[in-house]
Amino acid sequence: MLPGLNILISGVFNAAVLFLIAAGLQIVFGVQKIVNLACGSFYALGAYFGITALAWAVKLQLPVATFIPILIASGLLLAVVLGPTVERLLRFVYHRDEHFQLLLTFALVLIFEDVIRIFWGASPLQSNNVYFAFGELPLGRNFTVPNYNLIVIGIALAISLGFGWFLQATRFGKIVRATAENAAMCEALCIDLSKVYVAVFTLGVALGTVGGALVVPAAAASLDMGVELIVDAFAVVIIGGLGSMPGALVGALVVGLVRAAAIWLYPEFEMLAIYVIVIAVLILRPQGLLGKSA
Amino acid sequence: MLEVSDLAVEIQSSEILRGVSFNVGAGELVCLVGRNGAGKTTTLRTIMGYVAPRAGAIRLTGTDLRGKSTLDRARLGIGYSPEDSEVLGELTVAENIELPTWTRRTEKSAHERIELAFQVFPNLRRYATRPGTHLSGGERKMLSIARTLALDAKLLLLDEPFEGLSPAIIPGIRHSVHEIVRLGRTVLIAESELQHVPDYADRIYVMERGEIVFGGSLEQAHCDPTVRRIIGTTV
Repeated sequence: MLPGLNILISGVFNAAVLFLIAAGLQIVFGVQKIVNLACGSFYALGAYFGITALAWAVKLQLPVATFIPILIASGLLLAVVLGPTVERLLRFVYHRDEHFQLLLTFALVLIFEDVIRIFWGASPLQSNNVYFAFGELPLGRNFTVPNYNLIVIGIALAISLGFGWFLQATRFGKIVRATAENAAMCEALCIDLSKVYVAVFTLGVALGTVGGALVVPAAAASLDMGVELIVDAFAVVIIGGLGSMPGALVGALVVGLVRAAAIWLYPEFEMLAIYVIVIAVLILRPQGLLGKSA
Repeated sequence: MLEVSDLAVEIQSSEILRGVSFNVGAGELVCLVGRNGAGKTTTLRTIMGYVAPRAGAIRLTGTDLRGKSTLDRARLGIGYSPEDSEVLGELTVAENIELPTWTRRTEKSAHERIELAFQVFPNLRRYATRPGTHLSGGERKMLSIARTLALDAKLLLLDEPFEGLSPAIIPGIRHSVHEIVRLGRTVLIAESELQHVPDYADRIYVMERGEIVFGGSLEQAHCDPTVRRIIGTTV
C-alpha cells in the first residue's frame, strides 16, 4: 500500500505543477496559435524569482504561512513584466509559418537561460528547509505526506477550477473563447485582438512563473529545468490533445503518475515510459485523448 | 454613406476587382449581384478591411477608410455578416448577440440593442440558450445579421443572406431585412440570384469578372439584356 500511496502523492504533485505550465501552453496556442517553446523558461525564471523571494522572506523572518502568498506574488509580478514584453516580440510571427514561431521562442529559451546565468549563476539553487517547515501529515503508522505537496495540489486544483470559471462565466472569458474560435470574425465584432493577445499571453506566462515559483521549496532551481520541462509539457499536450484544457489536466496526470511510478519502481524507465505513451497516442489517437480531430 | 471608387484588388497576383465604383446612400438598400467568383464577396471583405486594395478609395460618411483595420471599421459602425454566417459556436445564441454590446459603446444602451436584435429576429429568442453550433442554416444567417444590429452598425454588409436557405425561410429573412431598412440602417447585400433581390431594393449593381457592368433599379435590371445574359434569370 505504501509504494502505491507514495506514487500517488508524488505523481499528483508533479501533475499539479505540470498542469499549470501545460494550461498556459494550451491557452496561448488556442487563442494566439503560437507554439510557445519558451513556456519552460517562464517556469525556470519563476523558480529563480521564487527562490530569491523566499530568501528575502526568510531573511526578514516572516512566518512560514506567508511563504506561499509570497511565492505566488513573485510569479505574478514576473508575469506582469514578462508577458506584455514577450507578447510584443511575438507579434512579428503571428500569422507566419510555425517555423518562425518555433525559432523565435527557442531563441527566447536561450536568451532567458543566459539571463538566469547572469543573475543567479550556473549552480543549482535550493531553498533551505522551507519544504519541511510546512510539516507533514501522518496518514499511518509509518507513512506521512509532506503538507507542502498537498498545498500545491490544492492550489493547482483551485487555479484549474478558477480558470474554468473564468473562461465559462466571465465576459472576458467568453471573449477569449470566441477569439480562439474565430479571431477574424471577432475583430468585426469590435474585439481588440491586440488587447486579448496581451492578456492571454500574460495569463499563460503567469501559469508558468507561478508553477515555477511553487516548485522551488520542493526542488532545486537549475539552469536546465526549463528545457526539461518543455519536454514534459509537450508530452502533456500531445497526450491530452493540443488546445484542450481538460486534455491538459488528463495529460498532466498521466505524465505525473507514470513518472512517479517509474521513479519508484524502475528509475531507468522514467523518461522512456513517457515517450512510449506519447508514441502510442500519436499512433492510435493523433489528436490526443481529449483533443478534437482536425 | 458609402462611396467606393475605382477599387482594384489583387490576390496572389490575380486581379479580382477592377475599377469597382458605386455608392450607397444613407438608409438605402443596395444589392451587388453577380455569379459566383464575380467579386462580390471580395468587395465586401475589402470594405470590411480584410483585404487591402491595390488602388481606389472607400469612404464612409466622408471618412477615408484607407489604412484602417477591420476593428477600426467596426468601431466606425460597419457591421459584417459573412457568407457562411461565422456564428461563434463556443457561445450561446444570446451570448453571440450580447458580445458586440460588451465591445462597442454607442448612445444606445446594451439592453436596447439586444432587444432590437431579438425584435427583428423574434425566432432567435426561443433559442437564446442554445449553443451557436446547434442552429440550422437559416437560424445562423439570422443570428449573424442580428449581431450587426447589436453592434449598432449604421452600415450593414450582408453577404448572401438568402443563399442555401429553404424557400420557406427566405421570406422571413427578407421581411427582417426590410425592417432593418425601415429602422433607418443602410444595407449593402451581395447576392448571386436576381430573384432573391428584395423588391424594395433602392438600386442594384451587377458584377462580372471583378467589374461593375450594370447599375440601376431592379426594374431596369430585369429589362437589361446584359444583366439577363450574366445572371441567366427569366424575367
